[in-house]
Amino acid sequence: MYEWDFTPVIANADLLLQGLLGTLAITGTALAFGLPLGLGLALGRLSPNRALAWPAGFVIEFFRTTPPLVQLFWFFFALPILIDIRMTPFLAAAITFSIQSSAFFAEVFRAGIVSIERGQWEAARAIGMQRPQAMRRIILPQAIKRMIPAFTERSIELMKTTTLVATVSYADLLYQANELAQKTFRPIEIFTATALIYFTVIFGLSLIVQAVERRMAVSGDSTVQ
Amino acid sequence: MMEYNWDFASVFMSHEALVVGLIGTLRIFIICLVAGLSLGLVVGLARYSRRRALRWPAAVFVEFFRNTPVLVQIFWFYFAFPILAPFDISPLMAAALGITLNSAAFSAEIYRGGITSIDPGQWEAARAIGMGYLQIMRRIILPQALRRMLPALTNRGIEILKMTTLASAIAYGELLHQARLIASINYNPIEAYTVVALAFFVILYPIVRATYALERRMAKGD
Repeated sequence: MYEWDFTPVIANADLLLQGLLGTLAITGTALAFGLPLGLGLALGRLSPNRALAWPAGFVIEFFRTTPPLVQLFWFFFALPILIDIRMTPFLAAAITFSIQSSAFFAEVFRAGIVSIERGQWEAARAIGMQRPQAMRRIILPQAIKRMIPAFTERSIELMKTTTLVATVSYADLLYQANELAQKTFRPIEIFTATALIYFTVIFGLSLIVQAVERRMAVSGDSTVQ
Repeated sequence: MMEYNWDFASVFMSHEALVVGLIGTLRIFIICLVAGLSLGLVVGLARYSRRRALRWPAAVFVEFFRNTPVLVQIFWFYFAFPILAPFDISPLMAAALGITLNSAAFSAEIYRGGITSIDPGQWEAARAIGMGYLQIMRRIILPQALRRMLPALTNRGIEILKMTTLASAIAYGELLHQARLIASINYNPIEAYTVVALAFFVILYPIVRATYALERRMAKGD
């Protein structure tokens, strides 16, 4: 029978906390860049101009259908050969997850925008608004409210995906756990505690999402399938 | 932009390594697809059950595996589980376990949604002609529900194929891991990783298009 001993976990709690902060930092960075980029891609894809719609559609589909770990390896190992930059694990992860999440966010934006009744467009045009103006002042404010649950869901997916950065030695929670497991020879306790930390943070967030979803459902506005 | 001479020939010279990787990817994909979607059906049925002793463990299972990252699960099975288990764990087993349990949790929710979407009248009618629970499920409910769940289940399959790359983190010889080997031997990471990215895109994009078409058709039909 294995004797569980969680003291190495508690003794190194500060390292795990640092890792959790690393996870949150990369998630936050990817969100900060991914959301505006996603909006740009969605507007591009919906544009009547084919020279915009096609490339935007390609970027969205490409980053949605290739594995994020392949993208991460590409940006980390291949990109520095093509352009003259000093690649760090954080930079590679920030680029990868910003673009990857923007492709998914773009689809959320698009679903929200097309869910607005056509009458809203017609009414805006009737009072003399141009397309960009109608989008900014009439469509988006209504669409974004409906998209909030889908956004939170995507952000939770994003946080789970950031664990991949451990494979290029960025010190996120999983990387710190792996280091600790090797140092303390207590992989069971360390990895179990790590799984529980992720579970607590992510499950806590999903409970909030569910509460938001319920409130949205009451007011009849949601694009979550 | 620096001048760079693309050299894809160096990747395809190592085609043997790529074939090994492709077989590795397909092997883990098929294991996880079959095991994950079947286990998901069992868990989904348990979550829908009237018995609390079935419903609760199923709910805990689903919430736990939906709310922890797959890579953490894979690491747990690879580094921690062998100490508890009385047998050796290969990278394939560890990765397959992590991905299978994760996919089971996600597909359980799809099955549950599909089954509850079937009109209660179907249950009542089947019971009225004397069918038992299992018989109703197998002959009346599931055939109708599976059709509705098809797009969501296909999406799960796509996610599973993408997730197989995580097995490279514990050195299982799938496509990405083999590309990494090729890149380190031939110093051609750009070409090696580009080929892998394109391979996934070429395989998955037609399937994604097909699910879009399927979704549109069903939106019209139902």
